[in-house]
Order: sequence, then C-alpha cells, then structure tokens
Amino acid sequence: MKLKKGFVLREICGETVILGEGLDVVNFNKIIDLNETAAWIWREAERQKEFSVDGLTEAVCNEYEVEPETARSDVNDILTNWKELGLLE
Amino acid sequence: MKRFYKVADHVFSVDSDIDTPDWMCNYSPFETAEDKELFSLAVRNAIVERADFTEEFHQEEEGFDISCGYTDTGQNVFEFSMGNQLIGSLVCTKDHHDATLVCDDAFKQKAVDNSLMVLYALNTATLGTALFHASVIQFRNKAYLFLGKSGTGKSTHASLWQQYIPQTELLNDDNPVVRIVNEEIWVCGSPWSGKTPCYKNEKYLLGGIVDLSQAPFNEIRPLRGIEAYAVLVPSISGKRWDKDMADGLHDFENHLALKAPIWHLSCLPDEEAAKICAKHVVQ
Repeated sequence: MKLKKGFVLREICGETVILGEGLDVVNFNKIIDLNETAAWIWREAERQKEFSVDGLTEAVCNEYEVEPETARSDVNDILTNWKELGLLE
Repeated sequence: MKRFYKVADHVFSVDSDIDTPDWMCNYSPFETAEDKELFSLAVRNAIVERADFTEEFHQEEEGFDISCGYTDTGQNVFEFSMGNQLIGSLVCTKDHHDATLVCDDAFKQKAVDNSLMVLYALNTATLGTALFHASVIQFRNKAYLFLGKSGTGKSTHASLWQQYIPQTELLNDDNPVVRIVNEEIWVCGSPWSGKTPCYKNEKYLLGGIVDLSQAPFNEIRPLRGIEAYAVLVPSISGKRWDKDMADGLHDFENHLALKAPIWHLSCLPDEEAAKICAKHVVQ
C-alpha cells in the first residue's frame, strides 16, 4: 500500500488533519481530522512509503506500549477508513 | 504605455499597446507612481492562437473557462475562453513575475482582468495576502465579508445590508483582497468587482466573515477551528498544488481561522437576514 500522492498532513488550529492539495486530488473537498495515533501512523506511512499492516503494526509496537493484537486492530481500522476515503493506492 | 498600480500595497505594472485605457478605468483608483513592481504584465492586441502546452488544470464557471499548464521550456500558460472561443492567452515566467497576454480586442477587459487576478493571486500567496471570492461591505470602519458558492446570494445579502442597515457601504462585490500585516487583518478594495462597478481603493480592519447558505429560515452560528478553516479554502484563489503557495495560503487560512470572527448564516433573501446577521456580527 501507498499513500495517494497529493494528500498532505497539516495543523489547523491545533488539530492534525489531512487535506487534498495535489493536482489529482485538488477537488477532494474534505478535511480529515486525525487523532494522535492516526497522525503518528500517517507520518510513519509517509516515512515507509510502501507499507503493510504488519510493518505499521510493528512500528506502532516499537513506539507505544501496546499489545500487538490491539495495535494490529487499530492499524487495520485506520487503514480501512483511509481506503474508504480514497487516501490509499 | 506602462502604468503602475497598487492593490493592498502590492505594486504591479501593465504595459499595454492598446490605446485609450478607458476600458481599464476600474484600475484608475489604484494607479500609482513608478515603483518596484511585484509582477508586470504586457498586453498585446492580436489574433489569439492556442499555445503548445501541457494542461495541468481546468476550471469552468458560468461559461468562462480557464485552462492552465506549462510549456516545454517551463513557462506557465493560462488560456481564457468564453464558450468555445479563445479570448486570451497568458504566458508567464516560472516565478510568475513577468507575463505577456495576447488578447482579442472584443474581450480585452475580461482577458486583462482575469490575467491580473491570476497573477496577483500567484504572486501574493506567500506574502500573507489572499484574493477572496466574496462580497464585502464596510460598516462603522470595519469590513464584513460574505462568502458562499456561486449563486448563494453574496451580492444579494450585501445589498440587503445597504438597504436595511444604515451607514453600510459596499467595498467590493466579488474579489476583495485580505492581507495580514503585523497580526492585523485588513480588507482592501480591488479593481475586480464582478458585475458591480465598485472599485474602491480603501482598506478597513476585518470585522467578521460570514459564510452564507440558502435556507427557508434565518439562523446564525459561530464557526471555530477546522469548520472555520473549511469555509475559507474554497473562497480563496490559488494554485494549491504548488507547495510554496499551498504553505503560504495554509498559514494565512490558519491565522484567520484562529483570530477572525467567522460565522455561518443560513438565510432567506430578506430584511430579517441582514438584521440578524448585523446584530451578531457587529461588535
């Protein structure tokens, strides 16, 4: 999986959000509000470029004190949501 | 002849080979002495031919079409069309500072206005300045902006204020400039005012921003944070796929979302709408 080109992470009034600013997504017209974990996973996904549920779960477990099963389920939920919103390719 | 204009304290020049600049009278209030310009436009009257370029983006509104892209040599191109007729071709350097417009005599005003708006927005996006799509009135030395999609009734709401709120004056009916200077938010008139000839070289501190939508009732509520930011983005012109410009506009929008009083007004086109709006928005 990859993050679709053109989506950017920004801080708006203290909240972390995803905006569509690239040419292909300039008419996205939505602002996606991210909680702290989701924002961390987005940055990690940007860093890994090509990523998988396994890879992101491992990264989350290294960063946060969390059971691998819980981490995997969180990563799954977040990626499913992003996929539905068209943020992934 | 080359003339200089100053809009919201940003200077640009227009060098036109078309005689008698009566058709540019909307710029007269903004004319200034020769100064260091942010960008310059040369206007040439000739048969407009399609340029050879790669299209990046295309925008159509009410039969007016803007196609933008770049040439092999890295110059930016903007083509303006009405229906299927090409009325102007604007070519500018990569940094947007030097531009040439070739336009058809019959549509020169439309072509020049759109060229200058495009160039103004591109050159000021990183300078704490934004060209808004809004109607704006002035009341007790403060400016109030009305935003909304095309056809929502921005101009109608502005005229309701003029009709029912004494001492209200129209500052601009389509494209005011908003500029942040030392944390203060200023609203400035411009030479671009849509169908209403209202070209005032005046500036006022921002009193408030009201996003409008049509409804079978009148109701106003304050917007905060992301909601406030979200109504600003579609009202500001810009090339958001250019990172520097996107960063500049984001900083600007974020500042306004944090500092400016921003409201949403669901409204009818009636006297009560203007009065409810004024009652909440004017401090």
